[in-house]
Amino acid sequence: MIKGKLLLTAAFAVLFAATVSAAETVKIGMNLPQTGIGAADGKSVLTAAQIAVDEINADGGINGKSVELVVYDDQTSPKFSVPVATKLIEKDQVPIGISGSYSGATRAAAGVFQAAGVPYISAYAVHPDITRAGDLVFRTSFVGEVLGRAGAHLVGKQLGKKRAVVTVMKNDYGKSLARGFKEVAAKFGIEIVNEYEYSLKDRQFGPIVSKVKADNPDVIYDTGYWFVAAPLVSQLRGGGVNAPVVGQEGYDGQKFIEIAGAASDGVMITTSLDRDSTVPKIKAFMSEFEKRAGYKADMVGASAHVAVNVAVAALRKAGSMDAKAIQAALQQTNYEGVTGKIRFNEIGEAYKVVQVQVVRDGGWHHHSVITDTELLTPPLN
Amino acid sequence: MIFVELILQGLIQGSIYALIAVGLTLVYGLLRILHIAHAALFTLGAYLGLLITNATGSLALGFLVAMVVVGIAGIAIYRFCYHDVLDQPPHVALIASVGLFIAMEEGFRLIWGPTSISFTEPPWQAAVVLGGIQVKTADLVTIPLAIVLIGGLAAIVAFTRIGLAWRATVTDPAMAGSFGIDALKVRYLNFFLGSALAAAAGVMFAILANFVEPTMGGVPSYKALAIIVLGGLGNVRGTLIAALMLGVIESFGTIYLGWAMDRDAIAFAFLILVLMVRPQGLFARS
Repeated sequence: MIKGKLLLTAAFAVLFAATVSAAETVKIGMNLPQTGIGAADGKSVLTAAQIAVDEINADGGINGKSVELVVYDDQTSPKFSVPVATKLIEKDQVPIGISGSYSGATRAAAGVFQAAGVPYISAYAVHPDITRAGDLVFRTSFVGEVLGRAGAHLVGKQLGKKRAVVTVMKNDYGKSLARGFKEVAAKFGIEIVNEYEYSLKDRQFGPIVSKVKADNPDVIYDTGYWFVAAPLVSQLRGGGVNAPVVGQEGYDGQKFIEIAGAASDGVMITTSLDRDSTVPKIKAFMSEFEKRAGYKADMVGASAHVAVNVAVAALRKAGSMDAKAIQAALQQTNYEGVTGKIRFNEIGEAYKVVQVQVVRDGGWHHHSVITDTELLTPPLN
Repeated sequence: MIFVELILQGLIQGSIYALIAVGLTLVYGLLRILHIAHAALFTLGAYLGLLITNATGSLALGFLVAMVVVGIAGIAIYRFCYHDVLDQPPHVALIASVGLFIAMEEGFRLIWGPTSISFTEPPWQAAVVLGGIQVKTADLVTIPLAIVLIGGLAAIVAFTRIGLAWRATVTDPAMAGSFGIDALKVRYLNFFLGSALAAAAGVMFAILANFVEPTMGGVPSYKALAIIVLGGLGNVRGTLIAALMLGVIESFGTIYLGWAMDRDAIAFAFLILVLMVRPQGLFARS
């Protein structure tokens, strides 16, 4: 009997200790892919988010409390991101959530966070519907449409290429980019000669390569992720298509260059991270990232670093865990991070400049910056 | 010209399908098992071929090791997964096979990591111009490789004693057994050869895409099923024709039907269409 009581007391003591220690930290919830197709990106996201948290904790945390990341695997799938979001909200009771995942998963989780009244930030997912989930959902990166428009700017205005083939990856991400590109293509004098769609699972593009060769375009605009785009670009070059390829954030990372090899040379993308930046903060992030991850910093990592910092800045400013206070603080964000300066519009979309990077000597390098205000202004609906 | 190119690209893809599907149809012909885990052997072959080539610099060695090791893995799958459930209803082996496929994919992820790996120096990348059509050497190699490997298989079946035993066992297992043919040996050979061909397809796929990932067997696992059903289950000649046909149909479909359906959906639309007209498959045995 006494033994039982002792056990019970011990159990209470442990539980109490756990509650006390939990109260001393502020949890930030994250869904990101640790397995499945996006696993490599998930690794970058987690590495960069942890760098951000370590920096923040070294800097005094949030009003004296240290920050703790709570991370679950969503396999880039809405099927898993929804239960993960529920778990973060119900079990971990996070005051704010961050998506370090792709559009499909983020779009689904955004609705869960909004319904539960918990603020949510999409670090790099581009689908327009994500922020449309409600007033608690923010995006610290580009909405797909803006990124697509930037692609058209690069193709038509900067490169002066007028006959384009558009290859579209058939998912939320690829389609929303293609929409943005086509929306302003005419404005930049681009004629879309042909458009081809492929699935996320495709790795063999022989037929598309043959047809693109027959189309003989000046440029190819592609909206795929690196693991689809790298075989595509490599096969385009192998098949004798030498027109420049313009990609986007989905290419951003060393893996693209590793897979496509020599074929990646000269490929340009519109993205968020400038590898050749001389800004001390960005340089420090890139070297710390490379030290921890064992490979060079990429767009998804940089975007996660920014998202965590934006979340923490809002939590500090709100001074409480109240969702409305956090939302109001987020709305007033004016943060300069490793992907540039960020402000939000009324619906939580970020305004920031686009970095154009090009592959040279086996690495991504600075090409130019797109600052056209009209083009970069995120849509309001 | 585009017409010829699309046919060529279709045949290249079809050759890979053929290499995968032959093993599957052989297993079905002999044991009436839908061997889903076959696609995991395709992935295993891709991993081994790529890793050995990266480690030694010899693609030939990569092919050889991948084919032999995967062949042996195929025998092991038969022995430890199917052998003891042969007298059970067919769905028992099917469930075992699906379970094994998932377990193997997860195993690859645990061993080689969730992210893709690539050749440090991708082989056969040089461009070749053939009658005005430029392709990679790797593309060009695929078709003859499939012909040689499947031709070799056909030769074994047609001209060797064990091949004769194999044909006898497929036709009438009980009769073959009463003539002293060792059914177990025939099954081992069957799994070895079918798995080795899948491994070769895996290595070839790795070269074409310069990309190997744990889940790469996902699409082949169900597409190969569609192919062997089209070819008439257990019919090797039918499977080969169905594989090449599907490659060509997908090639044209990607370009001209891409707006309506995925390349992977085309296989099944075609399968449904054929089964509506010929429920026994295109080339069913009588």
